[in-house]
Amino acid sequence: MTDAAVLSVVDVLVDLLEPTTLVRILLDALSKSALYVLIASGLSLIFGLMGVLNFAHGSLTMLGAYLGGAVMVALVSGSTSEPVQLLLFFVAIAATFAALTLLGGAVEMTLIRPIYDREPLFQILLTFGLVLVLDELARIAVELYGLQPRSDWQAALGTAPGFLSSRYTVAGVTTRGLYLFEVLIGALVVAAIWAFLTRTRYGLYIRSGSEDSEMTRALGIDVRRTFTVVFGLGSGLAGLAGVVLMWDPRFGASVPLSVETLLVAFVVVIIGGLGSFRGTVVAAGVVGLTDALMTWLFINHVDFAGLPEMVTFLVLVAVLIVRPQGLYGIAEVGGH
Amino acid sequence: MSGDPPALELDGVHSYYGESHVLRGVDLSVETGENVALVGRNGVGKTTTLRSILGLTPPREGTVRIDGEDVTGEPTHEIARRGVGWVPEERRMFKHLSVEENLRVATPPGSDVSKRVQEALDAFPALRDHVDREAGDLSGGQQQMVAIARVLVGDNDLLLVDEPSEGLAPLIVEEVVDALGTLAEDVTLLLVEQNFPMAMDLTDRFYLLDQGKVVETGDSNAASRDDETIRRYLSA
Amino acid sequence: MSEPTETSDAPAVTDRRGAYVRRVLADHAVHAAVVVAFALYPIVYTVLGQTPLGSEFEVFLPRVHAMVAVLYIGLFAMSFDFISGYTGYLSFGHALFYGSGAYLVVLTATDKVPLLGPDTPFMLLILVAGLVAVALALAVGAVSFRLSGVYFAMITLGFAEVAHVFIRNWDHVGSNPRDGASIGAAGDAFAVGVPGIDALQVGIGRLVGDEFGDVFGIGVEFGTAEVSYYAIGAVVLVCYLLMQRIIHSPFGRVMIAIRENEERARAVGYDVFRFKLAAFAISGFFAGVAGALFAGYRRTVAPGNTFDLFFTAEALLAAIVGGFGTLAGPLFGYLFNASVEGVLSTEPHGIARYLRDVLSESTLSAGAGGVTVADVINVLVDGRADLYLGIVFILFVLYVPRGILGTLRDRLGGHVADRLPERVRSRFRGRNE
Repeated sequence: MTDAAVLSVVDVLVDLLEPTTLVRILLDALSKSALYVLIASGLSLIFGLMGVLNFAHGSLTMLGAYLGGAVMVALVSGSTSEPVQLLLFFVAIAATFAALTLLGGAVEMTLIRPIYDREPLFQILLTFGLVLVLDELARIAVELYGLQPRSDWQAALGTAPGFLSSRYTVAGVTTRGLYLFEVLIGALVVAAIWAFLTRTRYGLYIRSGSEDSEMTRALGIDVRRTFTVVFGLGSGLAGLAGVVLMWDPRFGASVPLSVETLLVAFVVVIIGGLGSFRGTVVAAGVVGLTDALMTWLFINHVDFAGLPEMVTFLVLVAVLIVRPQGLYGIAEVGGH
Repeated sequence: MSGDPPALELDGVHSYYGESHVLRGVDLSVETGENVALVGRNGVGKTTTLRSILGLTPPREGTVRIDGEDVTGEPTHEIARRGVGWVPEERRMFKHLSVEENLRVATPPGSDVSKRVQEALDAFPALRDHVDREAGDLSGGQQQMVAIARVLVGDNDLLLVDEPSEGLAPLIVEEVVDALGTLAEDVTLLLVEQNFPMAMDLTDRFYLLDQGKVVETGDSNAASRDDETIRRYLSA
Repeated sequence: MSEPTETSDAPAVTDRRGAYVRRVLADHAVHAAVVVAFALYPIVYTVLGQTPLGSEFEVFLPRVHAMVAVLYIGLFAMSFDFISGYTGYLSFGHALFYGSGAYLVVLTATDKVPLLGPDTPFMLLILVAGLVAVALALAVGAVSFRLSGVYFAMITLGFAEVAHVFIRNWDHVGSNPRDGASIGAAGDAFAVGVPGIDALQVGIGRLVGDEFGDVFGIGVEFGTAEVSYYAIGAVVLVCYLLMQRIIHSPFGRVMIAIRENEERARAVGYDVFRFKLAAFAISGFFAGVAGALFAGYRRTVAPGNTFDLFFTAEALLAAIVGGFGTLAGPLFGYLFNASVEGVLSTEPHGIARYLRDVLSESTLSAGAGGVTVADVINVLVDGRADLYLGIVFILFVLYVPRGILGTLRDRLGGHVADRLPERVRSRFRGRNE
């Protein structure tokens, strides 16, 4: 029994150290990390600055997937050329980002602003109520449109240009063009957020406010107004992630996407640490790599389909036990 | 002169920390350009007084006036924009921002940011070598200088300075005192300080606080630790 | 105390006894009223169903079958409130305890649990389910209570999600673990009562439980749902009274002290970690019992209605609507939610079906701009409980943060159970004078 276990661990290691295996896992990890950073970065900004754990974040991603899909399905026809398809994709991203930024800003001003002075519990509860409303509204709209809310929106998946659906060989490993494209988008978004946070006055306010909101106010900065902006931008980013997922056959636009991405976003933000965008990026890498490794292990060696997801949550629990402030957390953990 | 309203005036201010009644009717006033010390034992409400002026701990009763205008109940950032600068206890650096960013964040929008930052650095040349370091990595004395420089880059003419010498080595304290002394010539200063001689050295007048009330006021130059009243209220 | 004998002080003893009984009754007058109201509900429901407005009542009143769920999910919501509402620690993984209790019952009945045979008495199973949940709560709590606030919510959610993913993929449960496990209607009903004495226990379950004919001779028949309702109701009542006792004990006062100001509670000398852990274990126990009751009644479990985050959310919703930190509030909160869900249900007793039946064809097809009344019913009414509950929930968070019972308490100036009788009494006295 024990001998067999030791033997199989050796087997797995030998298998794992195969160069093509490593490349395959790394590629998978890279594309997953890119998606995870897209999914989590908006939540990271909001949670970091305002301390509001926005449960509606996944719902906003889900809305983004449908909105982006709607733009694509409306504009792409059989005769649209591939470069134009790609261009329209960026139009869809811009439109969805704008729409959800406005929605997020409005939500902050009307619903969340009145309860900043209450315990954080109430902010969690309020955004939880939003999940119910937004998901049900999406279900209504989708059913009116004649779609099944629980299954992926195939028409939207079909608007991806051919060169993204094809497979390419990278270092001896075949992968979809789409996965490489996702890595590119992820890198661009991370760079854009990074530049916003470090190069603009607003970014500076967000970073100082995340560290010490009171001190920032005492320097004459209206932190509440930055809350509106950040909640809007964070919502916009959630929507942007949705547009990207709309093309990915592993996700696709569906109402359950809301919970699926919410849990991922929580895990990444908590592991990365409150108020640290760098932490979020690193945590997305850690979670992506864990996921890729466990997926490989499941396909080849362990007969347990829930392995990647379960290990991801175990990592969350382990990080909270060993290092509750997260990998790069800058705010104190503790009091309510 | 007599026509000008005081730079800062507190009238019967009551403030609470949670449920505990900390300020029980504080009255004080600081004329424009005047340097005033606020002294008293630990826990008598000195820091709360500063926080109440800034609206961080909004008074439940009484009024705070700045240049004659009632600011009670105004949001903190609006009070700050009236030219009130705060050098808080324990300095409150943005530890993960660079020194330069700590200064930039305090510059008013629309102002010449790099010019103001340079001016602040001119006042504290020792900080020049560290502009790109994260503020959390600096020594306590350097952090104190950043905290003071941070109120310099804003358009502040009323400074609320809380325990600037706390936790610093004596040599560093001297530097800080020098800096504050120079600064105090041009602005109105309300200084909270445990180090009594230092507080008296830097100011013209003092208020003695006990149990949330002003119990004594007088001329800083004439004040002495040996004075019966002062000793009674200062010794723990 | 020896039995009072016929001596000179007999009147005094009776008097004292009478005073005691009166005090207990007065203390629990509201409790008693609520219990009576719940007990009468199936009868009232049947009677109202036979009136001319019967079909209207059936739309707006929850069926007895739904009321059974109100009892066990209400118990779950109360157990959630016990820890979250009284200590301030949001147990976002509470479904873990409910789920483990529920799965324990089904897996035992299908002979998949070591040491426990399929013929283990249900009353014992309930206890074991509670104790398993206690063990889980101690394990989870031991590491989680080093954190607080949002982080505590997240780590408990993390643990529950690990269990959720596990149970969804564990093939020991059944051939398709994602669909859960089921006992089916073949076996005996689970019995609530005194184990081993047939006369003192009744079988629960919609399909396999006991039923009684016209008990009171007033045309009210007690079917399986009604019998299960009373049996499960009795267990839930006992659980509620136990939790209520704990809340009102010195232990409960420490829990509240922790919620109000943990630092102070620690400074006063309480080992707050142990108190929180113990409270969590107690809360887990009752959540486990609730899960066992659910599985005993429904005889089938699935990951989605046990271990799911959204099942914890049911408790959260119920607690907010009913009143956080009021213990009984979440039961009423869930009663409200279940009523809304029942009215807006797509099933035959829902309002959508009712409207389609009652409204004339011309009304249904009337409308403007290509949208007919029937469309509106289909889109905005039929099965849309989540939408309206979400809105109600947000409104409660914004405007009634203390919930129904909490707000009542504020108005009355104390516990409803204490204050209402006083109010009523003073009213009466006022009128008499």
